[in-house]
Amino acid sequence: MTSIPVPATRPGRRFQGRALIPLLLGPSVLLILVFVVAPAVYGLYLSLTNTQLTGFAARDPQFVGLDNFRYLLGSDDFLASLGRTGQFVLFSAIIGQTVLGMLAALLLRRTWLRGKGLFGAAILLPMVVPEVVAALTWASVLSSSEDGTFNRVIGLFGGAAAAPLQDSPMLSIIIVNIWRGIAFAMIMFQAALEDVPDELIEASRVDGASATQVFRYVTLPLIRGPVFLYLLLTTITTVGVFGLVYFLTQGGPGAATELTSIFIFERAFQYSQIGLGSAASVILLALLMVLGLTYVRLTKVEV
Amino acid sequence: MATAVTVRTDATGPARERRRRTSATTVVQRVLQYVLITMLALFCLVPFAWVALSAVDAHAGPTVGAPTFSLDNFARFFSNTDTPRLLLNSLIISVSATALNLACGLLGAYALSRFRFRGRTFFMFSILLIRVIPAPATIVALYLLMVRMNLDDSYLGLILVEAAAALPVTLWLLKGTIDAIPFELEEAAWMDGSTRLGAIRRIIFPLVGPGLGAAAMLTFMAVWGDFLTPLVLLQSPDLYPLSIGLFRAFSAFNQVDWGVLAASAVIYMVPPAILYGVLRRHLLKSSLGGAIKG
Repeated sequence: MTSIPVPATRPGRRFQGRALIPLLLGPSVLLILVFVVAPAVYGLYLSLTNTQLTGFAARDPQFVGLDNFRYLLGSDDFLASLGRTGQFVLFSAIIGQTVLGMLAALLLRRTWLRGKGLFGAAILLPMVVPEVVAALTWASVLSSSEDGTFNRVIGLFGGAAAAPLQDSPMLSIIIVNIWRGIAFAMIMFQAALEDVPDELIEASRVDGASATQVFRYVTLPLIRGPVFLYLLLTTITTVGVFGLVYFLTQGGPGAATELTSIFIFERAFQYSQIGLGSAASVILLALLMVLGLTYVRLTKVEV
Repeated sequence: MATAVTVRTDATGPARERRRRTSATTVVQRVLQYVLITMLALFCLVPFAWVALSAVDAHAGPTVGAPTFSLDNFARFFSNTDTPRLLLNSLIISVSATALNLACGLLGAYALSRFRFRGRTFFMFSILLIRVIPAPATIVALYLLMVRMNLDDSYLGLILVEAAAALPVTLWLLKGTIDAIPFELEEAAWMDGSTRLGAIRRIIFPLVGPGLGAAAMLTFMAVWGDFLTPLVLLQSPDLYPLSIGLFRAFSAFNQVDWGVLAASAVIYMVPPAILYGVLRRHLLKSSLGGAIKG
């Protein structure tokens, strides 16, 4: 076999190889088409109908055109949920996680800092545990009872016991989500900071720039690309946050923490208005697609 | 990029005399930074106090308290009639979905890495875009579709959905890994009489290990931690994984067994925590540089 001349074998093998493509890629394509693409397309269709889970319309769903969209865009409930999602993304992801994640990444780069492993592990833990456990831990922290962790800490400083999830529910879930996302921001920024040469930082320090100046004028311009990518990515994932908030508040009290993801879930599965829930999903997807396309454009990966 | 930076350093040049700093200010700065990172770490850790303490507390309540140490909660978790079932369901779903995901992903990634065909780039970018779709945005249609296909409320349906949802990441990751395996190695195997598939088995399988390990852990953790999909797709308590079991147990306001709940949470969070520890070290070593040289 080994004595067969190279040019003679290669085309044969290549040909044999190309016939394999459907066999190799088929299962993946099939799974993605049926369980990811089809639901998205089907959702688009459902959003144009008055499909219900139960009741009269469940038997015989009607095509209602853009009625669902017209209803939603005039509905205070839905618009308020979009507003809450915007608020949630802005304060928890874009401000909170980014600032604290950057702080953690910068501090953990200090050469003189001892115990990097321990600090890093502590910051990673909130991201590593499942969503449900994360929510459960905060349920006890934010408990309205005087023994709740938050109230105990407040008590140490002489404050009166509070019920954070009732008194300031949005702020509570924003803090919980910041807590969960610091690690992701930290990892992304650590990777970006790897590419900033130490000599450059030292040179600017020697030239008399303060730490803030170095960060503002040397480090930040060099990691602008990765930071922007991170912001897009975290926006996209934060819009999709469901379990963390639903477990803690189920959208309440009232509708105070009803993010769009929870609005969709409740409309579809609690009020069984599938058509309306799908239309809300389509609006959310349309908003995200703009960000998503920018993301794919900017990743500039080679395929 | 380098030129832009040179300009900047020149601009701050005149302040050269400030170069020497007294050691006192350095110490103060360092102490402040230690305080900052400690506070950040505490913020991340303190919420876990309740779970950690209550899991080993014989008289656990809904809030933090000094525990009366006992492992009774864990014993009860495994001896209760319904809780071991949750763990078993989580394992069945996560392991099967990961296995299916890797089997499809490895084959698909090989095709994407080694062949140039029409629609390949389009496919790669389309699945990258899929990552952008949040689960709540397609869950409604997914549920109805699964009902139509008679795949709702079953292991099989959930496993298929979870395997598919994690495929884009697996495909990208494994394609990258296979790209890094020199094609010459495979060609050499053909010379030696291997068939195309034989070469995949002898050359690619042994070398794809690190990437496969990373993909396996990422997929397993995503499925293990998923809450929304099983919440919507599963109705029978017999099929509930740990995520749903914990949620139901927590929402049963009047009869919550806090000790067992905390113990379940600990059991539930251990696998991903360990996997993540392994994964981090693993990912650093996943270069295959010297495979062809030497």
